[in-house]
Amino acid sequence: MTDARTVDEAPAPAGTEERAPSSSRWWVLAAVLLVAIALPFARFLGSYNYVLQLGMIVLMWIALASSWNILGGYTGYISLGHNVFFGVGGYVAGMLLIELGWSPFLTAPLAGLVAMALGIVAGLITYRAHGTSFIISTVALLLVVSLLMDNWSYLGGSNGMSLPLPGFDPGWLKVPFYYAMLAAAIGAVILGYRVQHSKFGLALRAIASDEVKAEMAGINTRLYKVMAFSISAFFPGVVGALWGYNLSYLRPVIFLIISVAARMVLMSIVGGRGTVAGPVIGAILIIAIDEASVSFLGASELNLAVTGLLLVVTLLFFPQGIVGTLRERNRLPAWLDWD
Amino acid sequence: MTASVQVLILGLLLGGVYALMASGLTLLFGVMRVVNLAHAAFIVLAAFLSFFLWEGLGIDPLVSLVVTVPVFFVFGMAIYRLVFPRIEGSPRFTEMTVLMTFGFAFIAEGLMSYFFTGIFRQTKPPYAQDAILLGPLYVPTGQLYAAITSIVLLVALWAFLKYTRTGYGVRATMQNRDAAQLVGVDVRRVSTVAFGIGMALAGAAGALISFVFPFYPSRHWQWIAILLALVVLGGMGSLKGAVVGALGLAVISSFISTHVGAVWAPITFFGALFLMLMIKPEGLFGKKARA
Repeated sequence: MTDARTVDEAPAPAGTEERAPSSSRWWVLAAVLLVAIALPFARFLGSYNYVLQLGMIVLMWIALASSWNILGGYTGYISLGHNVFFGVGGYVAGMLLIELGWSPFLTAPLAGLVAMALGIVAGLITYRAHGTSFIISTVALLLVVSLLMDNWSYLGGSNGMSLPLPGFDPGWLKVPFYYAMLAAAIGAVILGYRVQHSKFGLALRAIASDEVKAEMAGINTRLYKVMAFSISAFFPGVVGALWGYNLSYLRPVIFLIISVAARMVLMSIVGGRGTVAGPVIGAILIIAIDEASVSFLGASELNLAVTGLLLVVTLLFFPQGIVGTLRERNRLPAWLDWD
Repeated sequence: MTASVQVLILGLLLGGVYALMASGLTLLFGVMRVVNLAHAAFIVLAAFLSFFLWEGLGIDPLVSLVVTVPVFFVFGMAIYRLVFPRIEGSPRFTEMTVLMTFGFAFIAEGLMSYFFTGIFRQTKPPYAQDAILLGPLYVPTGQLYAAITSIVLLVALWAFLKYTRTGYGVRATMQNRDAAQLVGVDVRRVSTVAFGIGMALAGAAGALISFVFPFYPSRHWQWIAILLALVVLGGMGSLKGAVVGALGLAVISSFISTHVGAVWAPITFFGALFLMLMIKPEGLFGKKARA
């Protein structure tokens, strides 16, 4: 972003132990938030639908990646099937809209709760699995759910189904979606921060660094793992509800292909696993790269290869991600240190 | 009764192919603690290689094994040498390999979709459409040949591990990597060879599936999920477990496919995986160590 901030960053290394956040961080955060809130008003300046749509996508991915980070980052349990909750959210809210006429804007939190409940179930199935077997079981979970959705005729099967459009003024159609996504993104980041700074988060990090020792120290690792699984499912459910309504149709391929999960993983890892700011930076960066790659390469399958290449390159050369690597070198600017 | 025997035969043939597909994956995990999420993507790549040899030069997919196996052997050794020494020291090595090969899978899928498109492909040698009749039973020759080839290759793999010097090294490394190093096994070399063999098995599996299943670039996700389920189920790194799991579950899935519906067949593998994780997370023949 702008280089004016590097001036404030000078006292940062000294400020690592104090918890009182440096003021520059709050100024930057407030400014970013203000821009985010004001973005829809840019409509008065011209047609801003593209910017708004892009902003909404970025916010959605911030929510998804930050949620993934609770399980994959803090707890160290990598889920490659986290988009299951995204899909469940979309379908729950969509069905409530079709069957009862309830607006997804109101039922999104409910969709999040259903996703959490599914998270508990998934957590209970996998709580004895560690490391690799856990990862594999999340892949299996994703495939089971997508198989189910592809063949459940009530939910439209693999063709999916369309949702009624909201009755807003078409010119402002995207605005409520945008603000709802903004709220979800902020919520997910705050949730990440709260988890990071709670005893619960401490327990999760203990599990991540050494599960056997954590258990010896009296931490109920199984309970915490199930809880982490379920908490990390909430916001994916919420944004799934909003995203489905925004697209006005639900289809398994939108939610349940594995590349959606790969995105969450990639964003968290590129930004920095186990940090609050990491998934946010990762989401912004990956969407930016995506847009660039679509405009240079065209919307082709090569995007998938680019996603894979980014993951491999990141893991090989800076596995801590942007935030983690900068912190390790003591070069993390204060405005990026949200932990 | 005959109907059930028929389903059993088809299931066993399928299981033979699955066992070969899973063997490379389980070997890599056993020797190197590498979980190769791109294994099925490489199998599809090998299937494409066989397909183009068939379309372009009319080479029979069974014969194309002599191309795919060495090509993938070298390819595997190259990948190992290029990538894995760099991450060998990382604290969560296995997890790292999962993420890394997850990336490989997307690279492979993206490039295959771009260059070969997403059309369904299949090699069609004459025996693939044929069947041998045994009274009221029929045995599809394509699947029979594929299963027989799989068994031959698996026996060869077993003999290699059991009777050759390198095989000793591989088994020693599987049992205890550090101790093997200590008694003078060149673990780096053994790992390179084992990675090559694992990939060569993918190459072989690719040639076989090219006439058994229709394939397209993104199909590898369905397969890798099934194969991973088999590997966890059998016990991570246990070849025996993977083979037993593949045969058993392929038979069950054939019954489900016949009586419930073909689309639900994969549920067998995932259901079995979930059950196993709840009852015995280390798998059928797994050691009770953390993966």
